[in-house]
Amino acid sequence: MSITYLEAIRLAQQRVLAEDPRVFIYGQDIGGFGGAFKATKNLAKEFPGRVLDAPISEDAMVGMAIGAAVEGMRPIVEMQFADFSTCGLNQIVNQAATLHYRTGTPCPLVVRLPSGGTPGGGPFHSQSMEALYAHYPGLVVMTPATVEDAYTMLLEAVALDDPVIFCEHKFLYYHLKAEKLPEEALPFGKARITRPGRDATVVAYSAMVHEALAAAEDLSQDGYDIEVVDLRTVKPIDTDTILASVARTGRLLVVSEDWPWGGVAAEVITRVAAEGFGLLDAPPQRLNARETPVPYHPALWGTHRPTASSVANSLRQLLEL
Amino acid sequence: MFPSPSNSMPLLPIIMPQLGESIAEATIVSAAFSVGDRVEADTDLLEVETNKAVMAVTAPCGGILKELSAVIGESYAVGATLGYLEISEEDAERLGLNDAPPAPVEQPKKKQNSGGDTSQAGKKTVKPTVSGLPVPAHAGGATFLSPRMKARMAELGLHAADLAGVAGSGAGGRVTIDDLERFLQDLERNTISPASSMRVAVADAMRRSWTRPLATVVLPVQLDILLAHRKQQTVKAGPALYALRALSIALSEMPATAGRLIGDRVIHPRSVDIGFAVEAEDGVLVPVIRHADQFPLVDLVERYNRLVELARARRLPGSDTGGSIATITNYGVFGLTMATPIPLPEQTLLLGIGAGKITPSWDADKKEFVPVTEAQFTLSFDHRVLDGGAAGRLLQRVSQLLGTPEKL
Repeated sequence: MSITYLEAIRLAQQRVLAEDPRVFIYGQDIGGFGGAFKATKNLAKEFPGRVLDAPISEDAMVGMAIGAAVEGMRPIVEMQFADFSTCGLNQIVNQAATLHYRTGTPCPLVVRLPSGGTPGGGPFHSQSMEALYAHYPGLVVMTPATVEDAYTMLLEAVALDDPVIFCEHKFLYYHLKAEKLPEEALPFGKARITRPGRDATVVAYSAMVHEALAAAEDLSQDGYDIEVVDLRTVKPIDTDTILASVARTGRLLVVSEDWPWGGVAAEVITRVAAEGFGLLDAPPQRLNARETPVPYHPALWGTHRPTASSVANSLRQLLEL
Repeated sequence: MFPSPSNSMPLLPIIMPQLGESIAEATIVSAAFSVGDRVEADTDLLEVETNKAVMAVTAPCGGILKELSAVIGESYAVGATLGYLEISEEDAERLGLNDAPPAPVEQPKKKQNSGGDTSQAGKKTVKPTVSGLPVPAHAGGATFLSPRMKARMAELGLHAADLAGVAGSGAGGRVTIDDLERFLQDLERNTISPASSMRVAVADAMRRSWTRPLATVVLPVQLDILLAHRKQQTVKAGPALYALRALSIALSEMPATAGRLIGDRVIHPRSVDIGFAVEAEDGVLVPVIRHADQFPLVDLVERYNRLVELARARRLPGSDTGGSIATITNYGVFGLTMATPIPLPEQTLLLGIGAGKITPSWDADKKEFVPVTEAQFTLSFDHRVLDGGAAGRLLQRVSQLLGTPEKL
């Protein structure tokens, strides 16, 4: 049996629905239809009255879920695409993010964002929103890169008392497979050294971890030993693991599918420059998506986002600095 | 003629030996034998040249030169096969050759990159452009220090100059942290003694001074009149003090030559305070005579002698050192006739005095050579502030003033 990234998300939801009566899922076409990507397939049948179809209003969906969270429920809101979550932005960043700060009442809400690009996704179905939400104090932002993490981190997200933005990558939905679901997980907020190395560190998260790993494999042919760090959770960010890695390698490349401006890559580099300047052998580099809307044409899309070959090129340049 | 060797006899590769600690390759200069010649044990087969010396590749045992693949004028890495000797079974046994039979005779590989394991094959390294250099040309070495290197060096109290001899293995030949640690580890095999604080202070001052473009001009100065004048005095000044006084007068006439260039401004001296070098236990101290231009020579002698004593006893008060605009150093006391000493980092000028010696000088009136006592005077200067012409004029003026010692 093999489990895909998407199935892991469905199984995690199935489990929390079964184990915690406070959990319910709210989203457009998630009931009988099973969701745009089938992340809730058959769950409405299995858990009657707890997997609910919402009106086409992200504002209303999040607002209603916040109310339920305040009253002690553990809602999971499914956005059809991360891009549409901006229609509920006011509820997320003004209400959910600040609720505990303002009132002392926790807001245990999970908003699932099918994120990132797929060929032909275009400007409205491809965005990476993690930096936008990470900007606001009060939100946790998770970006799992593996089937195992997609499963355990969603369980973790539901268990947390803070509002969690759960960025699941659409490109990984069907491509990524695991043999079985894990029994254990890394602690909350801990980054993972996915591949140990000595010559340079690549910090990545979500789908970019796999591009970084492929690039590292490519460079190993040239005798380079590249370390790949998977942030897993971009907020809070595991600065200690990043600094420890840079201390080993002296060189840093941060790869993100998001745009460069004010992004996660910028944040990682700022922290390393400020707290680990004396660890660096070369100026830290970042590789982001191009600074344009996400193009529709698959060929353009392929050059818009960082890929294994562009990561490898950036690494080669970094290794010569 | 020797009988032609049978094919069954063992072949001993002639290997480029390790010629020195930092030598990675050497160039073939000449071959003493031709293929087919019989050679005796320990005879020189090839003459090879590194940038340091010409050395020989010798035969470890007697035999017949079977193959000579090394080309004269080409460079080969240490360990490269340069040819083969056909040797006896007994010698082969003794040299352990039978354990690993030699590969069929093949062209030796020309040196590409020094050593390294094959997994590093694709890594960018600096390729030597001139063979025989222990450090490849255009290697970055310790010219660029990453923040990481700087942090580690600060931790260890090291300076870039300490790493001048380290060949970097990093990008563009840069010295990496691993190179540094290896270098430091390697040092542990040597005898190590702590440097005195005086040594460290001098090193620090010289290293900082050396960041400037320093130049030296030289002028022979006749000292007979000065020495005659000195003989007549009851309180005798040494030649260094004569020079100090002469320099102070010359500088009061042209103070800008002792200025310092800071950015785009010349900082002129506030007063003509001149230092002089005194050798003291593992270093040099520089006591200062303040306002040397305002006191006649005879008034300076006692101050001078007292300062020398204090310096030698290392009891020089702070008020009697520092803040001078030039230094006098009499390296002639070491028997040296000429030197290019380094000025203090905060000074532009250093006047050096070589050892005096009697030398023939053409007397135009008498139309004959006459013996004169002459010493080389050197003026080392920061070329950013003044040029050879200005330095020359200053030195000429000093020489002129020393020609009328009674006026000093």
